[in-house]
Amino acid sequence: MDVTPETVATAVSHVASARGKGTLPNLMAFARALKQLGIKVSLSQVLDASRSVELVDIGERPDFRALLRANLVSQKEDFPVFDMAFDCFWREQTYERMPMETMEIQGTPTESDAPEGGDEEGGLEEAASEAMANENLQLDNLDEFSVPTYSAQELMNRKDFSEMGVEESRAIARAIMLIATKIATQISRRKKVGRKGNTVDPRWTMRRSMKYGGEVIELVHRKKRIKKTKVVLLCDVSGSMDCYSRFLIQFMYGLQNELWGVETFVFSTSLSRITHLIRTKDIVNALEKISGSILGWSGGTNIGRSLHTFNRNFAPSIVTHRTVVVIISDGWDRGDVSLLEREMQDLKRRAKKIIWLNPLLASENYEPLCKGMQAALPYLDLFLSVHNVNSLVSLGRTLQKMVA
Amino acid sequence: MDPKQLTIEQVQEILLKEKYVCDRSLATVVYLSLVMGKPLLLEGEAGVGKTEIAKVLAKVLNAKLIRLQCYEGLDANTALYEWNYPKQMLRIKLEEVEHGDKAKVETEIFSQEYLIKRPLLEAIQTDGANPPVLLIDEIDRADMEFEAFLLEVLSDFQITIPELGTVSAQHRPYVFLTSNRTREIHDALKRRCLYHWIEYPTFEKEYEIITTKFPEVETKMAQQICAFMQKVREMNFYKRPGVAETLDWASALIALNRKNLDDKSVVETMGCVFKYREDLHHLREQVESRQINLDALLRASPELVS
Repeated sequence: MDVTPETVATAVSHVASARGKGTLPNLMAFARALKQLGIKVSLSQVLDASRSVELVDIGERPDFRALLRANLVSQKEDFPVFDMAFDCFWREQTYERMPMETMEIQGTPTESDAPEGGDEEGGLEEAASEAMANENLQLDNLDEFSVPTYSAQELMNRKDFSEMGVEESRAIARAIMLIATKIATQISRRKKVGRKGNTVDPRWTMRRSMKYGGEVIELVHRKKRIKKTKVVLLCDVSGSMDCYSRFLIQFMYGLQNELWGVETFVFSTSLSRITHLIRTKDIVNALEKISGSILGWSGGTNIGRSLHTFNRNFAPSIVTHRTVVVIISDGWDRGDVSLLEREMQDLKRRAKKIIWLNPLLASENYEPLCKGMQAALPYLDLFLSVHNVNSLVSLGRTLQKMVA
Repeated sequence: MDPKQLTIEQVQEILLKEKYVCDRSLATVVYLSLVMGKPLLLEGEAGVGKTEIAKVLAKVLNAKLIRLQCYEGLDANTALYEWNYPKQMLRIKLEEVEHGDKAKVETEIFSQEYLIKRPLLEAIQTDGANPPVLLIDEIDRADMEFEAFLLEVLSDFQITIPELGTVSAQHRPYVFLTSNRTREIHDALKRRCLYHWIEYPTFEKEYEIITTKFPEVETKMAQQICAFMQKVREMNFYKRPGVAETLDWASALIALNRKNLDDKSVVETMGCVFKYREDLHHLREQVESRQINLDALLRASPELVS
């Protein structure tokens, strides 16, 4: 949700009726306004806030702000929204006399773009209808997401992968093996029980000694265990990526069969899960299956919407703090950039690392200028080139450094 | 000193006495945390003084500082308590030889004497006059599982040891958690804490920090250092330097008897500020190409009322 001074004013006006006399009702109303603006606030936090209000002189506005912020907000990203809402909700006059009857829309310091000169009710109505319109808009969007759309502009091509040479795929498979094992075998700090290792595990030593009548004969050690990092591949197969898709499908195939717990998805205008399609050791069959079943190959791109589908339907069950998400795309996006940014932010929060592989990065004078790529950049842990086997090998080295 | 009697101004003052410069909003949050007995979660870039504030507070409150450094794989055994197995085994062996009383041994080997206290239990069991300060450092490095476990301790301030019973805190410890944000902390834990994000200091605040820590520093050089740090934090470095780096650098320059910064001494002592080869290289280029110009920086920096 994009938060502008207008949406803040709307949210504040929505809760106007809930305001009342005393601190707590006002705080509850404020918390509800924050919730509408996308800041999660729990009841216990509100109660603690009201408790702490008694501890400082709330005549000091900055202190009051710091107090509410520390209690109600728990991540830095929400600070700007909180500050806007704070300014709007606890305006000077409200602030001086807490209980207040009505809420005037115009004259709100943050609402600069609102039409001037209307009376109070007009302002309220307008804000309300605006909010309704916004809600309708969002509903429309939702419909669009849930129904797979096939428009005339989308090119439904069936790709033939059969011309892929055996030699070529072997070279790639070797490079992929290197990368895959690097990602797969991270040393964990957690230890597992074993015969060899550098620290003694007293619990298990005691246990084992039982069979010798309590005499310690065997020492049980703990050693560091290999931690499996999960990998999720999101691969762009739209028209602009056409010349790379042959290669990409190799990459996806190789990685998935080398690693435990890889999930593979392809996207263009919509997203499909192909993990089950390439779960086979037989690459020829796999390629046939994919080109046969994916619609929308070589069509347009809507990265934001695809990510949205991913975050909503798949990410909760697949992506954890041990998951590395690899996105392969050139970043040419025909969708909504702000949606893309939001979804990247969401994904970033869930995943351990996000790696973006961009085949265009290889060309000397490439700069990530297209809007989609720019929106995504701040959320990436790694932004790398992937256009031939050599670049894959260097990717392998980079990953090795990253997990070391 | 009873922290419950303090005011926000006093919190700021006593911290300043221990050379910790903190702004009003941080002081407010610290004050609230002390008075409400609610844990405080501090986030911020590396080296902005998250850990330091807990240390300084422990000092001014004359309280014991108990620190739990988090790492991946940290488990209940290392955070809470552990039975002293070798000691228990030795005792059993001894009793075997001496044909001791079986029932007595059984109860005795599960007593306080055979218990190794780890930080969390120690924080709860401390029986001094003042409640201790418990610093849970870099919580983002621990596993999610550990967070869930911490939740229990932080909400009730009691720990159940099956063999001994429940131990609850006589005084609630003052709890500070820090995070570098390498991953998100779970909402449930965040909800139990007050939250504050420590920003990089402004020019004025950083100047105050330097002059508080090193009263002997030349005014002009302190200003130059601050202006330089403000500038490089805006620039594109892999690892942006924090206040800790500023202080290291200032003390290095003072040790070298520098009264004034010039390009040469900047490049010479840059190892205090940047810890990556790429960053050092980038900086040298910037200085050589006059992208970083000390005199211009100084002229552009805000006027300070001395």
